[in-house]
Amino acid sequence: MTFYLVRRVAIGIFLLLLMSAIFFTLTRITPGAPVSVGENPRIHQDQVNRRLHSLGLTDANGNPYSIPESYVRYLGALVHGNLGDSYQYNEPVTTLLMQRLPNSILLLGAALLVALGIGIPLGIYASTHQYSKIDMTTSIVSYIGVSIPSFVLGIYLLLIFAVFLKQSPLHWGFPLFGMHTGGVDDPLDLLIHMVLPVTSLAILQIAIFSRFMRASMLEVLHQDYIRTARAKGLAVERVNYKHALRNAILPIITLVGIAIPQIVNGAIITEGIFSWPGTGQLAFGAVVDRDYPVILGVVMLVAAGTVLFNLIADVLYAVADPRIRY
Amino acid sequence: MAQVPPLPIGGATGGLPGAGPGQLSVETTVDQERAIAQPGVKADELAGAPELGFWKLAVIRFLHHRVATGALLILGVIVVAAVVVPIITGNLYSIQDYRHPYKAPFQSFQHLLGTDELGQDELARLLRGARVSLMVGILAVVGYLIIGGGLGALAGYYGGWLDNALMRFTDIIISMPFLLVVIAVTAATGGVRLSTVIIVIAATGWFEIGRLMRAQFLVLREQEFVQAARALGASNTRIILRHILPNALAPIIVSATLGVSGIILLEAALGFLGYSIPPPEPSWGNMLQNFEEYLLSDHTYLVIFPATALVITALAINLVGDGIRDALDPRQR
Repeated sequence: MTFYLVRRVAIGIFLLLLMSAIFFTLTRITPGAPVSVGENPRIHQDQVNRRLHSLGLTDANGNPYSIPESYVRYLGALVHGNLGDSYQYNEPVTTLLMQRLPNSILLLGAALLVALGIGIPLGIYASTHQYSKIDMTTSIVSYIGVSIPSFVLGIYLLLIFAVFLKQSPLHWGFPLFGMHTGGVDDPLDLLIHMVLPVTSLAILQIAIFSRFMRASMLEVLHQDYIRTARAKGLAVERVNYKHALRNAILPIITLVGIAIPQIVNGAIITEGIFSWPGTGQLAFGAVVDRDYPVILGVVMLVAAGTVLFNLIADVLYAVADPRIRY
Repeated sequence: MAQVPPLPIGGATGGLPGAGPGQLSVETTVDQERAIAQPGVKADELAGAPELGFWKLAVIRFLHHRVATGALLILGVIVVAAVVVPIITGNLYSIQDYRHPYKAPFQSFQHLLGTDELGQDELARLLRGARVSLMVGILAVVGYLIIGGGLGALAGYYGGWLDNALMRFTDIIISMPFLLVVIAVTAATGGVRLSTVIIVIAATGWFEIGRLMRAQFLVLREQEFVQAARALGASNTRIILRHILPNALAPIIVSATLGVSGIILLEAALGFLGYSIPPPEPSWGNMLQNFEEYLLSDHTYLVIFPATALVITALAINLVGDGIRDALDPRQR
């Protein structure tokens, strides 16, 4: 187990290094200098040079670093928790990320919990009542859920709840745009602002979780030991929820590990649409404004998170399922 | 899973070695087979049943699937409209009718679905956008098939370093925020041209089909019919192309179909972020770019049309894909 852990962590670090190298090179060979005001005759060349230097793009003499050289410098700074400065905000990327990370974790965590809380029971119910009306409805709705990208879903939700129902008693005060002002001090306000983005992020995962849970549960229900349990005379509920569920729910752990990068991916646009002040919105803005240090920082954060969560999921799986040995 | 063709020598147990002294040896010819067919069955009666190949049967099974057939019809209408109508309307999609911006839909035949903020005809833009979506979807999937199919087949057949490289590449891609990857690569390779978008999507998204192809080849290369072909002296190229590939195709076709809808949604997301085809040209993604304006000014139809077109197309493709899956593999349900 220890050896496995060490190996996994080593592979994870290698992956992160490789990815950062690729991304760093990509952002460097991108056309469009960060200081394009260089063409503005009113700005003195010295000022441009000073700006380029302060962004870490040139050395003290004004000579630009080569790509490998600046990559090594980037990595060196990364070890100290420095991801460079944003072109747009004139602030360290780390500061920006740390400001927004709690908001994102709140939103993504809520979406994940909602998805698990609805998707898993739905899948279990659908599998124990196969071909019932609820099973059919779940299948159809989850089918549609998979076909709608979260940004279109977000737009639809805004359309319905913030525009169409504006004049009706069904308008629960979901704001069209704007951030939550009260923060954690005003939980109700926060909640109202969270409903639509969480819904639009969670629907896809609900669809995936319920489908997976149904298939996994059905597979277990058709195994011999379930028939044995039933033949012994155990109640249906006891067999379903004690014997079958325990085995069927295990693969969900891995699925959550896979779901996290998916939710993060969806969050980039969803946070942008709903003006949720998280890292996704930061990335959304950075993408539109071509603020590469920020894009790079978000990519590194997400990649590190993904590697970490996949590792945790695999370890948890081994802990939960004694049949698995590493 | 794979369709394994029957061994060239048949007969329920007859061909098995050690089945008895009076039985057949393993080497029999077709004529011998016919000669020892069950009494009362004439040789030609064996071939009497209507011969329906695997693909013909699949088509019949698909057409029996009502939902999938309906989805195929809808998809057909969309494709035909996207291909034909823009030829007739020409550059109507980019003509700016300054006197009629924000014209409501279903009011006149001149602008059936209304106009946007620049007075451009919404219907013409939708159909032109459909072209973009379908073109990106199909071309990028062709890219998936060439890169993923090719590398997956080689990795599965030969194994070795190529196999390892394929698996590691997949690991990297999976742990990256895909959207940001595509954006960064698009930006780095010279920005927003449709050809770049297609190439970038194809170059970063092929791994799923690659893995599928690899898995197919891993299983199939151990099968008896491949050993038989090798024993007969077939070259590796011939084995890959003529013997394994046709048997590996079924899941690849399904995955490719579903891939088209995934790419269309991805392209829309890119267009929405301004990283796909640039503005005078419409795409379903960039038609949604100003959704805040449309929502705030209550011109909701400008949001509803492209979003719904996107969802209907993606849904139809997914349904067709699932129909193909059921048709190609009736056992897996």
